[in-house]
Amino acid sequence: MFRLVVADLRRNALGALAIVLIVAFAAALGVAVTLQERALRLGSARAATAFPLVVGAAGSETQLMLSAVFLQPAPLGLVPGRVLSSLAADPRVAWAAPVGFGDFVEDYPIVGTTQALVDGLGGLRDGRAFARLDEAVAGAAVALRPGDRFHPLHGQASTGGHMHGETTYEVVGRLAPTGTPWDRAVLVPVEAVWRTHGLEAHEDEAHEGEQHEGEQHEGEQHTDEAHASGAPGAAQAPDPQAAIDPARVTAAGAPGVPAIVVKPRSIADAYKLRQEWRTDTTLALFPAEVLTRLYATLGDARRVLSAVAIGAQALVAAAILLVILLHVGQRRRQIGALRAFGAPRPAVFAVVWMEGFALLGLGLLAGVGLGYGAARLIAARLEAQSGVALPVLFTRDDLTPLLVLAGATAVLAAVPALLAYRQSPAAALRG
Amino acid sequence: MPALAVEALEVRFPGLATPALAIAHLTVESGARLGLTGPSGSGKTTLVNLVTGLERAGRGRLAWDGTDIARLSEGRRDRWRAANVGLVMQDFHLFDGLSARDNVLLPLRLSRLSLPAGAGAEADRLLARVGIERRDQKVETLSRGQKQRVAVARALIARPGILVADEPTASLDAEAGATVASLLLELATEAKATLIVASHDPRLLERLDRVVRLEAGRIRETGG
Ligand SMILES: Nc1ncnc2c1ncn2[C@@H]1O[C@H](COP(=O)(O)OP(=O)(O)OP(=O)(O)O)[C@@H](O)[C@H]1O
Ligand SMILES: [Mg+2]
Repeated sequence: MFRLVVADLRRNALGALAIVLIVAFAAALGVAVTLQERALRLGSARAATAFPLVVGAAGSETQLMLSAVFLQPAPLGLVPGRVLSSLAADPRVAWAAPVGFGDFVEDYPIVGTTQALVDGLGGLRDGRAFARLDEAVAGAAVALRPGDRFHPLHGQASTGGHMHGETTYEVVGRLAPTGTPWDRAVLVPVEAVWRTHGLEAHEDEAHEGEQHEGEQHEGEQHTDEAHASGAPGAAQAPDPQAAIDPARVTAAGAPGVPAIVVKPRSIADAYKLRQEWRTDTTLALFPAEVLTRLYATLGDARRVLSAVAIGAQALVAAAILLVILLHVGQRRRQIGALRAFGAPRPAVFAVVWMEGFALLGLGLLAGVGLGYGAARLIAARLEAQSGVALPVLFTRDDLTPLLVLAGATAVLAAVPALLAYRQSPAAALRG
Repeated sequence: MPALAVEALEVRFPGLATPALAIAHLTVESGARLGLTGPSGSGKTTLVNLVTGLERAGRGRLAWDGTDIARLSEGRRDRWRAANVGLVMQDFHLFDGLSARDNVLLPLRLSRLSLPAGAGAEADRLLARVGIERRDQKVETLSRGQKQRVAVARALIARPGILVADEPTASLDAEAGATVASLLLELATEAKATLIVASHDPRLLERLDRVVRLEAGRIRETGG
């Protein structure tokens, strides 16, 4: 019986291959959508949980989360320096670090921060942390090695930012991989960012990200203002080669920062801190929670996406059924003949069913593999772009739909088998 | 060697005013070699389908050794045919992609889980008997005469008591047709099977014991 099935499939090798491929692509579409969606969700959730609590200026929670966790450039209000100084002194806080952005080296965001964040991100893989204003630590996925020097660029290279030619950093260390967008970040002392942008003592001033493109030397203007105003608590812009001074960063009169990353000592502390820093002027949030809410909002879009995939699969199933019916129609004589020459009816059913199931099943298996491969490929590309590690994986929940699909395949294959079963052998012999 | 008894058989097809076949009485003795002839459309194939149980008679009785196959269910007719009838058709109905030997064994393979003991040897013997030397040759590469000879071997693999052929030589040239005709006659005799052949071929018909001529579904004359 198997010999017959194999011989028949081989005789129609091209058609069989076409069916397998079509089924495979349809299945792959569904598998890839499912896996990719899951990878994005898990990957971004992991990235978000790296930072338990983020404090920023009052504004959009989503934007603050996207900027702090995913390093998405955007104009954010600044939190006054006293917020960081008070957080740093809070006994419920394990560590708190400022996050200041706006500049790039090539397409890697430069983030001004402190030693606390370097440790908080998991420490260094090689080299050492920055000790001077002109030193930098590169993320694991940044194409810079210790010893490399660069000028920060205001705005991304790919969108034509302008160079802060007067500042030069030297890479002195590299972070261990974190699987978050921070792998693509270059960390520098936050004081250096202030210096570059002339933010020596400006509070409550919008720090505009790459939106600066095209505008002329915003930074320099700030510098002038800073110098001119001589605001209280501001030191003169220090020598670019000066050593960093952590105390200066956490001083009450220190310049503002767009966001502060906080690691509370306990979960209870985290909730209390979030409560306390939700004020008129500041915003405190759990990035993971904001992300979950964002996903809930996008839930409908996700459902649409999977509905499209299911619709495509249903169409393919219908097309395949048609092809199989035509195929059986062509073979009616042969199949009917089998019965005339002594094959029992159930054997005729079995032969046709096995052929159909083999084709569809093979397509399904290939599709799962193909979909997995496609999801891996897409994930790899997205990872390279965003730095977010996207885990493409099957879960136990996938088993049920796969079994249902296999069952549907068995039923689908039974349709032509039933037709062959009902085929009159006399009519078949007449051709 | 079953004998056939047909009584008051009538077959009508929708759209035909007169019955396609109406046979009041026909008997075939066990081991007989009967020819069916008549113009195209006279009902030869219809009768062949009835006596092999491929189609069910609307009315009448069609009994092989007392078994009225017109009364059997479809499944039981299939089983009865598999056990008792060997069929040879005008256009071979071999399964492309399989070897000559696999084609001969196919009915047995499909009707049971494993081949009965000696089936392989019997297939080889039959193929040798019909003059097929390359048993592993794929059937689609055989000549037409060779194909029909493989079909004859297949018809005999289950050792049937009844051998039925519908125009076995019609799609062959004279020489190949003569070979197939001889094989049918000889093998039916060797297997002690009752032979029924529907044919236009006078050279085949003249070698049979008895010929029934059909016209418009009725028996016109019996000769031979
Ligand atoms: N399933 C059917 N439906 C309608 N009419 C049919 C059917 N089968 C056979 N017939 C008709 O019955 C008649 C007998 O057909 P049959 O095939 O038995 O002829 P035949 O003697 O074998 O002819 P030929 O020598 O051409 O093979 C024909 O008129 C045919 O059109
Ligand atoms: Mg005919």
